[in-house]
Amino acid sequence: MAPTGLRRPNDPPLLILVSLAGGPKHGHALAKDIEAFADVRLGPGALYGAITRLVERGLIEPLGSDDRRRPYRITPPGSAALAEALADLRRVARTGAARLGLDPA
Amino acid sequence: MKPAHLLRWYPRAWRERYGEELLALIQDSLREGRSAWPLQLSVIWGGLGERGRQARHAAAAAFKAARSDKGSTILLAGLICGFGLDGLTASSAARPWQAVALDAVLAAVALTGALVLADGLVAFPALVRFLRAGGWPKIRRRVGWAAGVSAVAVGSVVFVWGSDWQSQQNLSWAILAGLLVTGLTTMGAIGLWSATATATARHLTLAPGVRAAQLMLGAVLPTAVSVMIATSALWWSATHPSVTLLVLGLVNLALTIVTTPMRIGRAARQGRRLRTAASGAAIINPSAHRTHGRHRA
Repeated sequence: MAPTGLRRPNDPPLLILVSLAGGPKHGHALAKDIEAFADVRLGPGALYGAITRLVERGLIEPLGSDDRRRPYRITPPGSAALAEALADLRRVARTGAARLGLDPA
Repeated sequence: MKPAHLLRWYPRAWRERYGEELLALIQDSLREGRSAWPLQLSVIWGGLGERGRQARHAAAAAFKAARSDKGSTILLAGLICGFGLDGLTASSAARPWQAVALDAVLAAVALTGALVLADGLVAFPALVRFLRAGGWPKIRRRVGWAAGVSAVAVGSVVFVWGSDWQSQQNLSWAILAGLLVTGLTTMGAIGLWSATATATARHLTLAPGVRAAQLMLGAVLPTAVSVMIATSALWWSATHPSVTLLVLGLVNLALTIVTTPMRIGRAARQGRRLRTAASGAAIINPSAHRTHGRHRA
């Protein structure tokens, strides 16, 4: 699989994929959802920069809309990339928790 | 700053695709009572990032075009015509056989220049049709970049020329910088014009005969460049005795003699195939018949 660029938990592309995994959303709804579940406030430039890259990589796609607020949805490759990134994060989290004695590895 | 004005930080193509959405997001955020400054900074930063990304893509495309066989041939031809000729004509040919070598180099340079010119002229009517049909906006940006870099190159040449650097023993930093800028911008201008021609050719609709002629010219052009390099090496070895250059020149000449018939034969076969394929239609679109993957105006 091509590199997805999803590495850090506060990466805008990762946050967008997590948000879209819950259903299609337009830009403003995405920003509010991300702020709600990750406590990260993405500016319009950062949000649309990440959306541009995700669309180019085919990880999300726009839905048809007559409104200026065009919704996006996650694609099957996007879901796979998100699952892979979450598995990586889970592994790191498990290792960290185990080393702190919070949780068995 | 008005939200709509903020979009100008983004490249036009991006604005056309995402501009309205971004504008709606900015307006929604402002309606929620968010501070304008962080929003503006985010948009400006994002716009600069997009422009940087677009510039990187354009540079990568130009490099890819220049790296292609035809592109590199033209680049090489241009560089040799641009830089080599000045040095050659400035040198004196002390002996008759050196004068013959110099004439051979100049003839090779003239032949190469004529081939490049002919290659462009063959496609010129199609280019005029394309422009009359409203194609200018499709190539305007590329032409603008190429013309801009060419203007800088001409300016730096005028500066270096005016400094009479060849007569100076110790070159100042300004002149050294001028020489460096001249070299880089000349290479950049030739590369950008090559990339522009390649991109423009993708939009042109060429008759099969014209395409066949271009294929043949494209096959002969590398030979002319090789002859130019070989004669230059031989001339240099004649005026500045060097066995290495003499051997390199002879090897290059031998390779040229071996590979030229193969290239011309391949171009002839491709030309015949093009004519056969298009026998039912008067006009073909080269974009749909990518017989060798590269097209040039």
